[in-house]
Amino acid sequence: MARRRRRRAIRLAAILGLAALVLWSIEATIVADTDWQRIGSPAAILKSVSRFLTIDFGLIPQLLVPTLETFMMACLGTLLGLFISLPVAWFGALNATPFKPVTYPLARFLMTLSRSIHEIVWALIFVAAVGLGALPGILAIAMRSVGFISKIIAEAIEDVDPKPVEAIRAVGGNSFQVMIFAIVPQVLPVALGTIIFEWDINIRRSAIMGLVGAGGLGLAFFRQMAMYNYGGVTTVILAILCLIVLGELASTAARKALI
Amino acid sequence: MPILEVKDLRARYSARGPEILKGISFDVEAEDFFAIIGPSGAGKSTLIRCINRLVEPVSGEIRLYGAEVTKMAAPELRRLRRNIGMIFQEFNLVNRMSVMDNVLSGRLGYVGNLRSIFRMFSRSDIARALELLDRVGLSDQVDKRADELSGGQRQRVGIARALMQDPKLLLLDEPTSSLDPKISREVMALVREIADEYKVPVLCNIHDVQLAMEFCNKIIGLQDGIKMFDGPTENMDRGKLDEIYAMEVL
Repeated sequence: MARRRRRRAIRLAAILGLAALVLWSIEATIVADTDWQRIGSPAAILKSVSRFLTIDFGLIPQLLVPTLETFMMACLGTLLGLFISLPVAWFGALNATPFKPVTYPLARFLMTLSRSIHEIVWALIFVAAVGLGALPGILAIAMRSVGFISKIIAEAIEDVDPKPVEAIRAVGGNSFQVMIFAIVPQVLPVALGTIIFEWDINIRRSAIMGLVGAGGLGLAFFRQMAMYNYGGVTTVILAILCLIVLGELASTAARKALI
Repeated sequence: MPILEVKDLRARYSARGPEILKGISFDVEAEDFFAIIGPSGAGKSTLIRCINRLVEPVSGEIRLYGAEVTKMAAPELRRLRRNIGMIFQEFNLVNRMSVMDNVLSGRLGYVGNLRSIFRMFSRSDIARALELLDRVGLSDQVDKRADELSGGQRQRVGIARALMQDPKLLLLDEPTSSLDPKISREVMALVREIADEYKVPVLCNIHDVQLAMEFCNKIIGLQDGIKMFDGPTENMDRGKLDEIYAMEVL
């Protein structure tokens, strides 16, 4: 009985402590740091938001090319990412890596690096390296995609059924033929599903990259913001939304067709 | 002149692990259909796999047509392996590939890397594959995916694949353990027929002693890595069987 009461007391103390921590965090980061004058009354907030609630129809024809550019960036970026992923996946699979003490840690490092650097940061790096336009966007998408695609493929390679591998070796096949005939057919469905999934995500990434100069709808968004054309901003956001939804539908259909 | 000569073969799976094969010696002649029998853990699978070096022997000699197998480097070993057909307990097919592609993969030891990627097998290879599939009774399954077939059918694909290599020796590793009794008998009969027809010696690891006595002309009895019996099937009797299987815990 006493033990139960003690546990309830501890739990209560923990909840109160947590609540105090949360309240203090709100005070320190939100209340203290916000410019309350600028925000004004609730009515003023509503007025600011309502400025975004119009569509600039005249802008739509000008968005067709950027939409296409964003889409192509996602496609090419995913494709490039796939090519880079293949050797990284091979190196990153414990059972297939050519020289375990060196190639395996190297591959794992590249996978982590790719996934730790946000796509915007990749885009900034490449814009600094190759200038503005679609190319830095494509490169950034490729580098960001490598981490996930190669990780999944490497894990699929590690999970492969060893029996066909044994059979191809027994028949006189070399390591390359073992890869092509025993490993790839087993890994292919997972690999394709992952690529399509990543392509879908890359459409969203591609739209964002324009914000830092990498072309497409993101650049259109940036320009509309710079001109304070709030209706235009909303229109671009809607265009991005449409593109992402279409990509989502295509991706789901493609992955269903695979299974 | 025996096709295969094995002298004092020793094998273990790791440097500090137990010795699985403790000095096995035997010869296989051209007309032989050898059964290797014995309790679980006797080393039957290990012995079979040492012949084509899927398992590396620790010491001893293995000669196929006089060529010393244990000392071969990788390219020579590839050439050796393409001359040895192997049939596995769990068929070891590539499940997502078609029956035809599985059989054709038997030629991989003869085909270069570039042609492998594009699955460009020669017309004569394809014709031979069709011929072999017909021989094993699978002509109507040629384009089906391997995992759409029954166990007995899959094993016949395995047989066709082994034959695609034009093998000089057939290794069978418990070919019937995953099959029901009726199909097992059919598969053993098929292999026996084909071995006689193409005049290929066979080394068959099998735990069904009845099947061994029925289809094989010679028997090696292994127990705990040691050869307890080596001779024609007629010489095998109840007493010797009991000796070989004496250590088996039921």
